[in-house]
Amino acid sequence: MTTLAHDPSGGPFAIEAQALNIYYGSFRAVKDINLRFSTHKITALIGPSGCGKSTVLRAFNRMNDLIPISRTEGTVLFHGKNIYDADVDPVQVRRRVGMVFQKPNPFPKTIYENVAWGARINGFKGNKADMDALVEESLRDAAVWDDVKDKLFQSGLSLSGGQQQRLCIARAIATRPELILMDEPASALDPISTLRIEELIQDLKKNYTILIVTHNMQQAARASDYTAFFNMDTDRAGYLVEYGQTDQVFTSPKSEMTEQYITGRFG
Amino acid sequence: MSDRPLPTETPPEPAAEQGDRFAALYPSEEGIRAQVARRQRVATGWRVAFLAATSLAVVILSTLLLSIINQSFGLVAEQTDIPEAQLVADHYKSQVLGATNVLLATEDDADIAAGIAADANGIGLLGYAVYADNGAALQALSVDGVAPTAETVATGTYPLTRPLLLYSSAAILSDKPQVAAFLLYTLQHAEEVMSELGAFPADATALAEQAAALATTLGLDPAAPIDPAAYEGDIVISGSSTLNPVTREIARRFRGEGFQGAIKISSVGTVAGFEAFCAESADLVDASRPITTVETAACAANNLTPLSVQVGLDPVVVAVNSANTFAADVNGEQLAALFTTATNWSEVVAGWPADAIHRFLPTTDSGTMDVFVNTVFGGRTLADLPYDALVQIFKANVTAGRCRAIEAEQRFYADSFVCDTEEAFTARCQSDAAPTGCVLEPRDKGSLVALIQADVVNPVVQQAWFLAESLFRREEIMAEARQAYPTADVHFRRWLTLDFLTRPQSSQPELAGVRTAILGSLWVVAIGILVGFPVGVGAAIYLEEYADKRRRFNRFIQTNINNLAGVPSIIYGLLGLTVFVRVLEPITSGAVFGVGDATTANGRTILSAGLTLALLILPVIIISAQEAIKAVPSSLREASLGLGATKWQTIWNHVVPNAIGGIMTGVILAMSRIIGETAPLVVVGASTFITTDPTGPFSKFTTLPTQIFQWTSRPQQTFLLIAGAAIIVLLVLLFILNAFAIYLRNRYARRIG
Ligand SMILES: Nc1ncnc2c1ncn2[C@@H]1O[C@H](COP(=O)(O)OP(=O)(O)OP(=O)(O)O)[C@@H](O)[C@H]1O
Ligand SMILES: [Mg+2]
Repeated sequence: MTTLAHDPSGGPFAIEAQALNIYYGSFRAVKDINLRFSTHKITALIGPSGCGKSTVLRAFNRMNDLIPISRTEGTVLFHGKNIYDADVDPVQVRRRVGMVFQKPNPFPKTIYENVAWGARINGFKGNKADMDALVEESLRDAAVWDDVKDKLFQSGLSLSGGQQQRLCIARAIATRPELILMDEPASALDPISTLRIEELIQDLKKNYTILIVTHNMQQAARASDYTAFFNMDTDRAGYLVEYGQTDQVFTSPKSEMTEQYITGRFG
Repeated sequence: MSDRPLPTETPPEPAAEQGDRFAALYPSEEGIRAQVARRQRVATGWRVAFLAATSLAVVILSTLLLSIINQSFGLVAEQTDIPEAQLVADHYKSQVLGATNVLLATEDDADIAAGIAADANGIGLLGYAVYADNGAALQALSVDGVAPTAETVATGTYPLTRPLLLYSSAAILSDKPQVAAFLLYTLQHAEEVMSELGAFPADATALAEQAAALATTLGLDPAAPIDPAAYEGDIVISGSSTLNPVTREIARRFRGEGFQGAIKISSVGTVAGFEAFCAESADLVDASRPITTVETAACAANNLTPLSVQVGLDPVVVAVNSANTFAADVNGEQLAALFTTATNWSEVVAGWPADAIHRFLPTTDSGTMDVFVNTVFGGRTLADLPYDALVQIFKANVTAGRCRAIEAEQRFYADSFVCDTEEAFTARCQSDAAPTGCVLEPRDKGSLVALIQADVVNPVVQQAWFLAESLFRREEIMAEARQAYPTADVHFRRWLTLDFLTRPQSSQPELAGVRTAILGSLWVVAIGILVGFPVGVGAAIYLEEYADKRRRFNRFIQTNINNLAGVPSIIYGLLGLTVFVRVLEPITSGAVFGVGDATTANGRTILSAGLTLALLILPVIIISAQEAIKAVPSSLREASLGLGATKWQTIWNHVVPNAIGGIMTGVILAMSRIIGETAPLVVVGASTFITTDPTGPFSKFTTLPTQIFQWTSRPQQTFLLIAGAAIIVLLVLLFILNAFAIYLRNRYARRIG
């Protein structure tokens, strides 16, 4: 398959991948990815398991650096700067590109501290009252305030899975990133919690650019503005098959493969 | 967007044939039941095996503990040159006799009675019999509200009561049947005679039992009364003036019933009575107190083993003139003042007149004085005596040469000399081999007490018995000990005492303690942990979080650390000896800081030992900290880094707090290991004999396990016993330190939880 350089939306871009190739050791996990993401939009990344969605997502805040055997080739432009340049500190990148993981991973600290810690280490200058307000607002924005307001000083681990995930979202937005990367944020949750997270993501769109990996076609169709479909090539490397407005991808996919995937005939 | 039809195919049915094929490979229903039961049996077998292993461990550990406890308590036959209690009693006797206005000090109670009767300000101590004879002129003070009456004496509530005893020896009794007969006759008639004389006989059954026992040993019929007419020969009786009237009356009756021989009775006091007895010039002693170990020793020199019977009780009366209207009852403290410190009555009780107290006393040698001092000043030890008195006791009981040598070692007073002279001492200090006394501060009371205990009291445990035998064979052991060590005091002894904890090392096991060793252990372990902990945890963090495991060099380091954990500790000792004691001597001796101990000035210090132990525990701490860090889920690191935290913030705020439990467990294991470590410390130079406490990292030192090791290698049995006690101390110390570490761990773990 040839590489497709998509530009479905036009307008300002939050982040852009150019000729991205990511290797685990000698195994190329994804190849030749060219992608641009529009500001303040939700983009869903879909595709069969193992096709490299998480790998691509993690490339946008250099999380793959944590895997010693991984290697990234190509360019990721963020504010016109390649974040893989030697003079870029990954901490700077992650400060501005937040992440929500597939499995909720709150710190084994109090709920309050889970939210406040990120702000504190990132130089939040407010006083105690400001911090309290930030924590409350973040928890409200993450739609978990009502669940936790009476037990802010209990351990974050004492919450249910869905509450924990919303706490992690609150933690991510408390530091005011520009981009939020979400890797299957609702995969471990029941349908009700999933719906709440989806609503929440819609709300967050106002202020953030969101990239979300999901296996749930309904979710992708309901909640996203754009959809990127990845597939695995014969060499097991993932590549971008189709990228466009969600409506277009779901109603009239350009690629046969996309159609088969979204109708559940393969994957 | 989704108007396309949903998939309509039904999922393929599993191929029936294939399902059957695999199902057939499993046992039948019955077989399944048998197979599950078999697996359960195996599981049960393992459970039993584990239970057995646990029980074995528990049994072994408790046996170990019991055997240590068995060693640390038990009966001992302890021989002293002079018992501490006697030194103390002598001091107080001299205080009493040296008080102001001692108008009379006599053996004779009658003279004392007469003296008090004639003096309105008189007070004195005398036996009850004489007091009773002078009832009108005297009045007895009650003590702590208890007056001396037949009842209070018999029940033992009147505190100043002493036993009245007759002493002889088995040899005399068998050589001189007339003496044996007289003794038996006395027991048979004591109740009657003493009651008639207004004295206090012993309990009737006790008298009868003693008579029966004595008759049996003599081969006489216990039921038959003695017939004095059947005996002849002389009987010489000497001793207490208190018992004298009773003995006289019994002798009168003995003669009256036809005894043919002569009975010679002298009232010379208990002390003189024992002296005569042990010098073989008396057959029987009237005693108003039990024989002392010193007197027993004197008797033993003449092959006499004393044997006693108790005939009665005697209250010592504190008597004042009958005209005395103010004094009626006194307590112990007031008694002490009345007979020692006070000059006027008003000094004892505020309302009493300001007239001088006139004292009428028995002599040092009398039983009356003994019982008074033992009751009023009983329970006091050398440590309660003033420093000056201790100096005098020491001087009086050692040779002049020994005293001078001790004074040269460390002076008694800063401004005067006790045994040496100013000129001689100055001359000695100017010589090349100036003694330590020239520079040291004068002794303190503690060291003087220790000196007296070692030089004057000189306790030697002749034999010791373990706890189990001491409990189950008590009587046999007592008899054995009386036979083998007639002059020794046989008593139950705990080797683990407060004194044992607070005394320094000594070459006399009876006086040795573990203070120096405990302090040494604490210092060394503290330095070991304080150095080993940060270095070890730091290394673990580096190896886990920073080092690239794919690099061969880092893997090589990791392998080496794992291997180092298994290196015998003595190797670390050798390393410590070379590096810390020798090469880094200027630092470890404190020389470069100018704070070293001038008397040692080498690298065999606490610092060297602590650093050696730090090396020893490094691998353990590193490995356990690495494991703990590995166990922190990587999702936590990702969460932290994803928020824009730096690597260090992630480590410090998330990795370390979540790993601290495991890290501390490693530290606890490491501490347990080094607190019991001996070999490397011996190599690094733990002192074999040291009595001065460590004062800092540059001091010489010894540690508990080193001390235990040295004690167990001594031939004397007593060192083995104190080694057992020291092992208990070591275990308790370990327990305390571990409990503290666990407390810290839990507290910290809770805070981050
Ligand atoms: N840490 C790693 N080390 C080695 N190979 C990896 C690692 N992580 C992922 N891979 C491989 O890279 C490929 C892409 O993995 P990735 O996790 O990105 O897939 P994915 O699309 O997110 O799949 P899923 O939908 O199951 O989450 C897979 O073949 C996977 O085996
Ligand atoms: Mg994934």
